[in-house]
Amino acid sequence: MITVEDLERVYLMGKVEVHALRGVSLSVKQGEFLGVTGESGSGKSTLLHLVGILDQPTAGRVLIDTTDVYRLSAEEQSRFRLGRIGFVFQEYALIQELTALENVYLPSLAAGNSHRDHEEHAGAILEKVGLEGRLNHLPRELSGGEQQRVAIARALVNNPGILLADEPCANLDSENSRNIMDIFADINRETGQTIMMVSHEAWHRPYFHRIIRLRDGRIVDAGDVSDDGKR
Amino acid sequence: MLQKIRVMLFLAWRSIQRGGRAGLMLNIVIIALVFTNMLLLPSIITGAVELFNEQTVDYQTSDILISPREDDRYIADVDTLLAKINRIPGVHRASARFAMGGTLIYKGKTVSVPVTAFYPRDEVEVTLINTKMKSGTFLSSGDTGEILLGNFVAGSEDESEDFFASLGGVRVGDSITVNFENGVSREYRVKGIFQTKSYTVDYMVFLPWEEMEEIIGHENTLATEVLVKTDEGVDLDVVKMRILSFGVGEKVKTWKDVLSGLVEESIESFNIINQISMLVSLVIAVVVIFVIITIKAVHQRREIGILKAIGIDQDIVIGSYVTQVLFICLLGTILGFIISQVLMIYFNAYPLEFPDGNVVPVFEYVTMLENTALLFVASAAAGYVPAWRIARQNILDAIRGQA
Repeated sequence: MITVEDLERVYLMGKVEVHALRGVSLSVKQGEFLGVTGESGSGKSTLLHLVGILDQPTAGRVLIDTTDVYRLSAEEQSRFRLGRIGFVFQEYALIQELTALENVYLPSLAAGNSHRDHEEHAGAILEKVGLEGRLNHLPRELSGGEQQRVAIARALVNNPGILLADEPCANLDSENSRNIMDIFADINRETGQTIMMVSHEAWHRPYFHRIIRLRDGRIVDAGDVSDDGKR
Repeated sequence: MLQKIRVMLFLAWRSIQRGGRAGLMLNIVIIALVFTNMLLLPSIITGAVELFNEQTVDYQTSDILISPREDDRYIADVDTLLAKINRIPGVHRASARFAMGGTLIYKGKTVSVPVTAFYPRDEVEVTLINTKMKSGTFLSSGDTGEILLGNFVAGSEDESEDFFASLGGVRVGDSITVNFENGVSREYRVKGIFQTKSYTVDYMVFLPWEEMEEIIGHENTLATEVLVKTDEGVDLDVVKMRILSFGVGEKVKTWKDVLSGLVEESIESFNIINQISMLVSLVIAVVVIFVIITIKAVHQRREIGILKAIGIDQDIVIGSYVTQVLFICLLGTILGFIISQVLMIYFNAYPLEFPDGNVVPVFEYVTMLENTALLFVASAAAGYVPAWRIARQNILDAIRGQA
């Protein structure tokens, strides 16, 4: 369960203060697939980054289960991200010198799993996202859709409770986008992982259990998609 | 901790394996050349010092040198002293020398040098001058009217080739005049000319002991110094102590004692040059590594951000860069070691020709280990700093590629 309380994030652009988030509060239930929408600059990526412990809030707090994540030390935050949170970026964010398999098992290796375990496990996840024939390819040898699937596999490898995705289909064509969205939906359904996804696309809406909309750093709509009967 | 090291090594190895080969090779070659430079100069200096030490023992002092007491000009009753020393365990042979000032004249050229007398049969046991004859032969017992000249005293017909005042190219068989400081003047036939390549020794002139007695006009029981050759493998200090314990009241010094001070100053000067050279080499290595890692880390800033975002600890990221540097250093030092060994083989075959003799660089493993450690520490620091600067950056800034 994710609990966000009065979250604020102010950036300094020179001498100008930019309020990216203005007191956002939110709860995401275990197993929920939450869509985060809003116009460009509305604060949705900032919210995702703060939930993913990639940034530092100006005020407020983020609780994951019972852990106030911004009270952890830098090293504890690293460990927390490694074991509890999977992050999928818009631009794949793979390590170029590692193969698909290595990119996926790197977090597993860092988490202390045995060599055989992490290779087998990473291979199985890549197979699950349809990349069984591309295990030993470097990122530059993969298409955009394949790279994003590797990134999803990497986010899943340590079996985190939370999956955060920041516009994962932004750079993909419609067919690849649909594949990626199907993968997320399958993961959510099969493993019960909580997913929080930033998205612009209207056709993604049916995938989400709930959608929140941000504007100018505030939640302006926290409606439940299921209630609208769209899912 | 072990887990961190595993990830660190994994990332470092993959980066080396799949990064640019040409750049990697260039870095290794630069480190190899730096390492070779760090080894070569000290080895030449060590070689020059060893040459100087060898020349001192072989031609000047032998293993132990006995000289007159503090306020005396001569060692008295030298025959008794020689007999006593020759009985001491560990002593191979003692040879007395007696020097008197003289002026040598040949075809209008004059050279003023001390003329030293010795017993040839003793001298060949304590020094190796007899093995360094450039022309003619060494002195023998009973020689009369014959003299032995050092190469610099004999000189060459072309004056520009001489470092010091010389007799202008006197040859074996030529006659020269020697005016001794006691007023005696004699004609001598040059029996031999020796060339040890030691400046000091090659500017010496020798006569047989009996000939010197003729000059003095009576039996000579005085000596200006006694050279003592010890048996092979004995401890010189032990023999020195034995000589003193046998009641020898003269100054007794091992060749190291003789050279201490004189050589230490020279070595210190050499060491300053060596340290400057080593510092320059290290600075080159540090700058090269710093630039390489800075470029690499800046280029991979986004990936560093990604690694941190997926939960890889900052220390692991920094460690992977330092590991790459250490790997480059390892290969560089191995290549540098091979290059230096090839150079050693070459210089053994074709020694460096110094005015004081042919210097063969002496490679010392201790120096190599010290320099390797120094290079590794300097390089690790040079790799750590840029990696740390980039890796401590905010994750999102790094992923966005912002400085």
